[in-house]
Amino acid sequence: MELMAKIAFAVYTLIILGGAVWAVTSQSLVRALVGLIATLLGVAGMYLLLNAPFMAFMQILIYVGAVCIIVFFAIMLTRAHADGEEAAPVPVRQYLWSLLAVLGPGAVLSWLILTRPAASMSTPVEVSLERLGQGLLEPYFLAFELISVVLLVAMSGAVLLAWERRGKK
Amino acid sequence: MSPLALYQLVALVLLCAGLFGIVQRRSLVGMLIAVELMLNGAGLSIVAAGQLTKANAILGQLGTLLVMGLAAAEATLVLSIVVVVSRRFGTTRTSEVSTLKE
Repeated sequence: MELMAKIAFAVYTLIILGGAVWAVTSQSLVRALVGLIATLLGVAGMYLLLNAPFMAFMQILIYVGAVCIIVFFAIMLTRAHADGEEAAPVPVRQYLWSLLAVLGPGAVLSWLILTRPAASMSTPVEVSLERLGQGLLEPYFLAFELISVVLLVAMSGAVLLAWERRGKK
Repeated sequence: MSPLALYQLVALVLLCAGLFGIVQRRSLVGMLIAVELMLNGAGLSIVAAGQLTKANAILGQLGTLLVMGLAAAEATLVLSIVVVVSRRFGTTRTSEVSTLKE
């Protein structure tokens, strides 16, 4: 069982790594989106390994189902076709500068993770769906209501921003 | 290496990939994809910290749910901003949209 978990972790890590690299380096935005979807599915697998099946379900429902569709609409509405903005190869200098920008925070954070490990259990906690729902309605009720307000405001704001009056050209 | 550190390293890889993408991409949609990667890394880190330590696991999972909701709201707004920018400028290339410094 232990071995299976390790193999699954390695497979999901590979999917996440490959997807992330593809998502940020692909020259076609649609392919980058496919890489993003692969990464999101890999993270959903990680949630399953962490004994949080509800989070895996939400990950697939919200990220793969909703956010990726929104990104796809953004690609479609801006007509980012194959020979669009990202088609030309990136200059090497820009690559190097970007890597340099990543190196700072990456090095500091990985140093912190490796030298100051928190006391961690080897098996994840089991949280039942019932207790999650109770948490959503009892102690964290305000956050739950506020996130719905934020979503409503964001959606009406988006409609207002992209509104085009009929007849006005 | 503890299991938590492994999950945190994967989350860090996602953060770094997102950071790299947001610096290197030349169109707004590509940057949006990179931001989603970073937010996902944050979610994975929070859930791992909640599930594998003595911290409140319910808070960890619900916090990540909140991050997902914020990511959805952010993607909606970015979509409409991208639509407005592409209507006004005819492109979403960042080098042509940044007219403030001229």
